[in-house]
Amino acid sequence: MIKSICVIDDDEIYQMIIKRLITKAKAFDETSYFMSATEALQNFDENISNLPSAILLDINMPIMDGWQFLKKLENTFPSLYDHTKVYIVTSSIAYSDKDKIEEFPKVSDFLSKPLSVEKLEEIGNSMA
Amino acid sequence: MAKKVENPTRLKAKRRPILIGFLTFLMLLLAGFFMLWQRYQILLDDRQSEMAAIIGVAEQNIDQSLKYSYSAALSLALQIDEDGKIENFDEVAPQLVDNNPNIDAIEIVPDGIITKVYPYEKNKDAINYNILKDSTRNGEAFIAIERKRMFFAGPLQLRQGGLAIIGRLPVFKKNEFWGFVAVLIHFENLVDQSGLEDLAGDEFRFQFSKINPVTKKEEFFLNDTSEMDKSYSEKLVLPDGDWKIYIIPVNPYEPFYTIIPVAIMILIISGALGWIVYNSLKQPAKLQELVKEQAGELAKSELHFRTIFNQAAIGMARVNSRSGMILEANKKFQDLLGYSEEELKLMDYKVISHPDDLTENSDLMRRLSKDEIRQYSLEKRLERKDGTLIWVRINVSPLWEVGEEVTSHIALVEDISARVKAKQRLVDNENRFRSLVENSNEIILIVDDQNRVKYYSPSLAKISKYEKIDFAANGVLFYIHPEDHDLLRSKVENAYTKPGVPISDIVLRVKDAENNWFWVNATLTNMLAVNNVNGFVINLRDITGKKEAEVNLVKSYELVMEQNKRLLNFAYIVSHNLRSHSSNMSSILELYDTEESQEEKDTYVHLLRKVSKNLDQSLHDLNEVVSINTNMDIKAETVNVSEFIDQALDILSLQMHSKRARVINEVPEEMQVSFNSAYMESVLLNFLTNALRYSDPERSPIIELIGYKEGKNWVLVIKDNGIGIDLDKHGEKVFGLYKTFSDRKDSRGVGLFITKNQINAMGGTVKVESETGVGTSFKVTFK
Repeated sequence: MIKSICVIDDDEIYQMIIKRLITKAKAFDETSYFMSATEALQNFDENISNLPSAILLDINMPIMDGWQFLKKLENTFPSLYDHTKVYIVTSSIAYSDKDKIEEFPKVSDFLSKPLSVEKLEEIGNSMA
Repeated sequence: MAKKVENPTRLKAKRRPILIGFLTFLMLLLAGFFMLWQRYQILLDDRQSEMAAIIGVAEQNIDQSLKYSYSAALSLALQIDEDGKIENFDEVAPQLVDNNPNIDAIEIVPDGIITKVYPYEKNKDAINYNILKDSTRNGEAFIAIERKRMFFAGPLQLRQGGLAIIGRLPVFKKNEFWGFVAVLIHFENLVDQSGLEDLAGDEFRFQFSKINPVTKKEEFFLNDTSEMDKSYSEKLVLPDGDWKIYIIPVNPYEPFYTIIPVAIMILIISGALGWIVYNSLKQPAKLQELVKEQAGELAKSELHFRTIFNQAAIGMARVNSRSGMILEANKKFQDLLGYSEEELKLMDYKVISHPDDLTENSDLMRRLSKDEIRQYSLEKRLERKDGTLIWVRINVSPLWEVGEEVTSHIALVEDISARVKAKQRLVDNENRFRSLVENSNEIILIVDDQNRVKYYSPSLAKISKYEKIDFAANGVLFYIHPEDHDLLRSKVENAYTKPGVPISDIVLRVKDAENNWFWVNATLTNMLAVNNVNGFVINLRDITGKKEAEVNLVKSYELVMEQNKRLLNFAYIVSHNLRSHSSNMSSILELYDTEESQEEKDTYVHLLRKVSKNLDQSLHDLNEVVSINTNMDIKAETVNVSEFIDQALDILSLQMHSKRARVINEVPEEMQVSFNSAYMESVLLNFLTNALRYSDPERSPIIELIGYKEGKNWVLVIKDNGIGIDLDKHGEKVFGLYKTFSDRKDSRGVGLFITKNQINAMGGTVKVESETGVGTSFKVTFK
């Protein structure tokens, strides 16, 4: 099975960092990076098999934030969590975000920035 | 303490009647007994005289008898001749004996020998008896011989039997003793002849005695009386025979016995008289005693009065009713006024009286003097020695009877300063409370259970504009908002069950005289049972202002809560923002450390620089946000909006030109608002910059600026034809911090946040209307 990971984050610098960390972790066969949720949605839309096995999702993004994206994704792919593990990755959970967490019980984990190589390896290994 | 008075004369006086009584008794007794003694003596004398008389008679009788004997003996002796012969004895003797009852026998005794005897038969045994030779009998015979006269011997026990006395008459012949002529008298006969038996009767006894010539002892011849007490006896001595005749009372104590009842009577009479004297003497003593007792009582009551006067807890003074001079004053009175009694005695009561009270006092005093009144009381002021005034109540009573001369009166003085003060305080309090009630902003009503308004405070008109009010006609509910009827009913029911307990915080709407509702906070107290109230006491406080303030407070609270929430969110946003930078930094540094390629390392340093720049930008933005939120000293001034718009357009003229933007400025010259000038500049620049930045690339931007008045407030509308914002999605977030709605890299989500905060800080509001692809319009309403 191909281990694919997808990062959705509008932070340009974070994107550069995470690319290098994933490379270092050597736990994934395929990677994809998106600067906005809308961009990611367009990519996933076509086929369910295009969905990566893991998504690292940022919350605070313009136009469409992480929650809105996740809602849409759940609607589009009801069986989303069968083949995809969703990780919310954020520097901190805002007060207003606390309620939101309850709405997405199937999210695998909430990870705090910065991510480490070890954490990425762990994510990769958990898929095996 | 009453001193106990011991009166020594009292005892004497008490004793004297006893003494006098006793003395009287004794004297009477003595006198009585003296008299009785005399009487006794008389009695004794009488008895003695009687006895003497009896003896006298007896003596005469015996003497008679003896004389007869003597005559008989002599007659016989004369018959004896010279020779000593007697011839006619037998003739003479019977004549002598038979005719003379005194003589029982007669003898011729020559030379002591009895030779002849008549009557012979009875006495023949004595014949030839020689008496001179009988030593037991011859003594008396010899006496007769010696005396040469008749001597009676015996009584002797006769030879011939019987007891008799023998009178022997010595007969001398030729001067020679011849012999005796003897007369024999039986002792019984002698006694009989003496008449003693008859004379003595029952009262007396008698006794014959004779000194025995042989034994020289007195011999008694009557047996039954031999032992008789001779103390009361009377005796008769018959020398012819050396006899003694005693007469003795049968009851020698009879006189004594007879006086005993008298003695007893005297005793009783003396005792009675002594008793009467004692009693009659005691009567004055008793009276004296009574007088003394009364005097003692008087002294005691005087002492009592003194004590009361001196120790009384109220002031007392005796005052000369004519002059007004104080005659006496007790301790309390002195204490009340601070003067000594000596000082007071030199004073007229008018001197210490307050001048304002004198008229009334003098008037009362005059009426008292005229007996129009018998006492009076008065509340007045007295001046103490130290000059201070005290209020007193005086009670004056005259010390003279009606119609008598006016002398002095007694005044009881009671310090009532405290009471007067308390009363004054009460009046003050009443005035104070009245003024409190009347000047209060609360309406106070007293309503009885028939809905009649018994009292309403003046504030009624002030607050409710009703000149007067009564619930009897329309009922209370007429004045109460329909929504509050149930509340009021339940409270009134509650008040009925809890007399005296204030039912408070009844918040109601009440209709005033102009049909406007106003809020009141009512307190209802059931005082139906309290005298002088007899109703519900209702306090109504107008709380309309408070109610409004309450609404404002709720609003403020909500505002504060909103701000608080915003601040909390802001803090999270800030921490999130800063953490995203710091996490990036730490990741980069970690990568840098593990990287070997110099080219890569350079990239990381480059990245680090970028992060640093972003961090700097973030801090700058935050600083700006914080300064708006914290700087309360930003001053508002009157700014001309039009002028500031011109300025901003001037600044942005280059960008306008490059975007070929067109501005339609419809802001009137006179539009002036109260705003901080720096904020105004910032707000206008931000709106205009946004309008240019988010312009639709398809068409050249058109920016409209419209200024107008909405009510009292100026409104500024900035409208563009840019890309617009999807408000359905982002509605609430348009003005949020770090909220961006485009994928433009240079939008940080700070501008509108700051703008809104600046407008709010100046008391204005901002609203947004937008349609994607059509344009956005911001409407600012100034304060």
